[in-house]
Amino acid sequence: MVDSARTPAAIPLALYIHVPWCIRKCPYCDFNSHETKVMPEAEYLQALLQDLQQDAALAQGRAIQSIFIGGGTPSLFAADSYAQLLQDIHAIVPIARDAEITLEANPGTFEYQKFRGFRVAGINRLSIGVQSFNSAHLQALGRVHDRDEAIRAIGAAREVGFERLNIDLMHGLPQQSVQDALADLQQAVTLQPSHLSWYQLTIEPNTVFYSKPPRLPDDELLWEIDQAGKQFIAASGFSQYEISAYARPGFACAHNLNYWLFGDYLAIGAGAHGKITDQQTGVITRYQKTRLPKDYLAADKPFTAQRNVVRVEELPFEFFMNALRLNQPIAKSLLVERTGLPLATVDEAVAEAVRKSLLMDSGTHWQTTPQGQLFLNELLQLF
Amino acid sequence: MTDLSHIRNFSIIAHIDHGKSTLADRFIQICGGLADREMEAQVLDSMDLERERGITIKAHSVTLYFKSQDGSTYQLNFIDTPGHVDFSYEVSRSLSACEGALLVVDAGQGVEAQSVANCYTAIEQGLEVMPVLNKIDLPQAEPERVAEEIEEIIGIEATDAARVSAKTGMGVPDLLERLVKVIPPPKGNRDGKLQALIIDSWFDNYLGIVSLVRVMHGTIKKGDKILVKSTGRDHIVDSVGVFTPKRTETGMLQAGEVGFVVAGIKEIRGAPVGDTLTHAKTADVEMLAGFKKVKPQVYAGLFPVSSDDYDRFRDALEKLSLNDASLHYEPETSDALGFGFRIGFLGMLHMEIIQERLEREYDLDLITTAPTVIYELLLKGGETVYVDNPSKLPDPSKVEEFREPVADVNILVPQEFLGNVITLCVEKRGSQKNLQFMGKQVAVHYEVPMSEVVLDFFDKLKSTSRGYASLDYSFKRFDPSNLVRVDVMINGDKVDALAVICHRDQAEYRGRVLTEKMKDLIPRQMFDVAIQASIGSKIIARQTVKALRKNVLAKCYGGDVSRKRKLLEKQKEGKKRMKQVGRVEIPQDAFLAVLKVDK
Repeated sequence: MVDSARTPAAIPLALYIHVPWCIRKCPYCDFNSHETKVMPEAEYLQALLQDLQQDAALAQGRAIQSIFIGGGTPSLFAADSYAQLLQDIHAIVPIARDAEITLEANPGTFEYQKFRGFRVAGINRLSIGVQSFNSAHLQALGRVHDRDEAIRAIGAAREVGFERLNIDLMHGLPQQSVQDALADLQQAVTLQPSHLSWYQLTIEPNTVFYSKPPRLPDDELLWEIDQAGKQFIAASGFSQYEISAYARPGFACAHNLNYWLFGDYLAIGAGAHGKITDQQTGVITRYQKTRLPKDYLAADKPFTAQRNVVRVEELPFEFFMNALRLNQPIAKSLLVERTGLPLATVDEAVAEAVRKSLLMDSGTHWQTTPQGQLFLNELLQLF
Repeated sequence: MTDLSHIRNFSIIAHIDHGKSTLADRFIQICGGLADREMEAQVLDSMDLERERGITIKAHSVTLYFKSQDGSTYQLNFIDTPGHVDFSYEVSRSLSACEGALLVVDAGQGVEAQSVANCYTAIEQGLEVMPVLNKIDLPQAEPERVAEEIEEIIGIEATDAARVSAKTGMGVPDLLERLVKVIPPPKGNRDGKLQALIIDSWFDNYLGIVSLVRVMHGTIKKGDKILVKSTGRDHIVDSVGVFTPKRTETGMLQAGEVGFVVAGIKEIRGAPVGDTLTHAKTADVEMLAGFKKVKPQVYAGLFPVSSDDYDRFRDALEKLSLNDASLHYEPETSDALGFGFRIGFLGMLHMEIIQERLEREYDLDLITTAPTVIYELLLKGGETVYVDNPSKLPDPSKVEEFREPVADVNILVPQEFLGNVITLCVEKRGSQKNLQFMGKQVAVHYEVPMSEVVLDFFDKLKSTSRGYASLDYSFKRFDPSNLVRVDVMINGDKVDALAVICHRDQAEYRGRVLTEKMKDLIPRQMFDVAIQASIGSKIIARQTVKALRKNVLAKCYGGDVSRKRKLLEKQKEGKKRMKQVGRVEIPQDAFLAVLKVDK
């Protein structure tokens, strides 16, 4: 049905691996993570491989361009485990030679002693969940590490050769002032990461913060933090390429860019989400793996819990919800390539978005305007 | 068939919560109208809305067979009546089918103003009124005092009034025994020409129009060719019978009986309430008196949120108005809200119920504008016009005199709350006409501008008297008044649907509170939103809804897609329910903000 519109260019493929355990669940976290003292590490690694084996056909001959191991706290697993896992994955679905392979790590002592091993295992990018360097704020966020550990962890990552290094920071924290937020950024920049993820704390359903909401800074203060922070980050040599993502030139996160550019991704591990485009028919399917670790590991339960075909009428919204998060201009041909939709489908919505000064249309490209970035939700509602 | 002497047609007059529906349930149980397992508490309140709100909106009937100790079996036709001040019109409809009425009074609370009014209606219509003291099982019951009160306030003998507990059933069999003795049987000639009064008609998806009738003379049978007097059209009777309360076919109804008639009438106006049915061959029979037309007291514009729903909305109104003759409507066009209808209601509760029924039973999404009363204007040219819509108010320079409707307000209140009630009446611009101490209660008579009465007077009265005061009101006359129109502008655009007419002295206050309320109700948008209230070109109040700084999801990755999409779709859905005025999106409830302008 959408064959005619599709260009032959293959849609890039990534792989997401979920490790669903944490030592302690943070009160703001709505990810699929579960507190535990003991993890069935060997069993889980085995399951991941079986899971991938069953999904191998979804790759449709494509190699994996990037891998992201997220959680939970994937850095709780042994470095050797990942060395083996990556080798075994490569045997099932080939991993491109220059693939970006990211591991999410906590900046605790236990973890950073393993950083060298991770590097040796083939992981070439670390994303360290620092969130803040302020002890009071770390405590409010329920984090298990402290400021010094965070600094030492980042030092350790650099020392063992992680050139691609992200620091996750949050802002808009309870009781946070503009100065506090800038101090966090200042400290982060001093540690010379290649990438910064700087998010505003938001209260999500099914979290401790949702049931017992902390008092957050008011809108005006949030705005001041946002503006001052962005200015500081830019002055420090990072450019913003997505709503909350900043990188030194050449260090944008390839794996996340693939999400935002509406690429395909395989997903293995408890609760992991994947998106695959059938290279023949153009039909896009989203699927989700069984969420609870014990079910995921149960021999009698399927790995895949849910599979939905994305309806054609949902495609423009899904595409733009991702693509318009990016600062870069988006080639119009990408919509056709990635969704199979003719451009005319979105003419009306685009015109309205342009009229509202939320989007620029250069003829060949679309680009979210600065106003559109601030009011992305309003922009997306047009699609 | 029951001969006339063994039929009793009656209604129950009672205030809300005084136990009418429970008593009716008890009657049904005693007479075996429903098996125990079918007894759902308060079976008569069949509309979901009625059950939820615990009030009766429409008249219903039920036919029961009561075996008296005198050895005879009586056919009891009980016509239910609504119990809220907004629906007194429906009460007179129910009463016209009866020879008697039970006045049910809560023995712990005493007589309520509306029961007094309804009692007078019953007495005027020649009904035998039988007082009943309910809830005598409760510790706070004071049957002697309440009986005295009935005698003093209403003026009917009540010393040996029946004492019952509808809840426990105590005294109810005795009450039925008394009922068949006290309430007279109907009169009528079963061999005469058919004359049946349509008490109620409603639309049933399977049957078409179903009419509840009281046969005055003659007999109506299945297969008869009948004629609707006002339309002059004839129809074949498909089915006749009674509600037990289940719909039960009996094949015929005779003079003195109350039941339903289905005659293949499909069109909405085919069987108007108050009309007379007769046989096609006796087309010359006289029309029965019918019911006096009620005048709506409150008008509001109702507009479909989606303009695509306009036709469905019109059809729904047509169906509703079939069995709610008090519902008046005509098309209205608003700059802000598009095409809709201006609808006249009996009061605020009536308005709420109609809106809810439209939304629930007809699945419509509606925006209601601020309710207003009808104003009388004497123009400079000597012409008198009536205005039920603030946006239609003529230029003040063309008006010689503004007049507003004034209501006769009768309140019964225990002495301890008298002060509060007087304060309320004064606040609402009332002028005192009479005060009468009767037992523990005081009968308070005021004249209050209708616009003050219809909005929240009833709720205020209840809260200021801890629920004890009761109210009855009716239109009295138009009085000259210093009225102005307060307009509301959103970012400079005048919003017709938000205009209100009010007294000059209250205009500034209302303008201020209105803009404040609107400020809370209009969500922050991408730009500042200025809300202004004005009289003519003079701005009397201003508020600003500050622009949002941003509206963006902080993060969205591969796994978040479906959840974030739902979130954004919800925002989008919410937006669909808003109305666009210029660039500004206004939520539905903002159009009702005027209602929340409280003193």
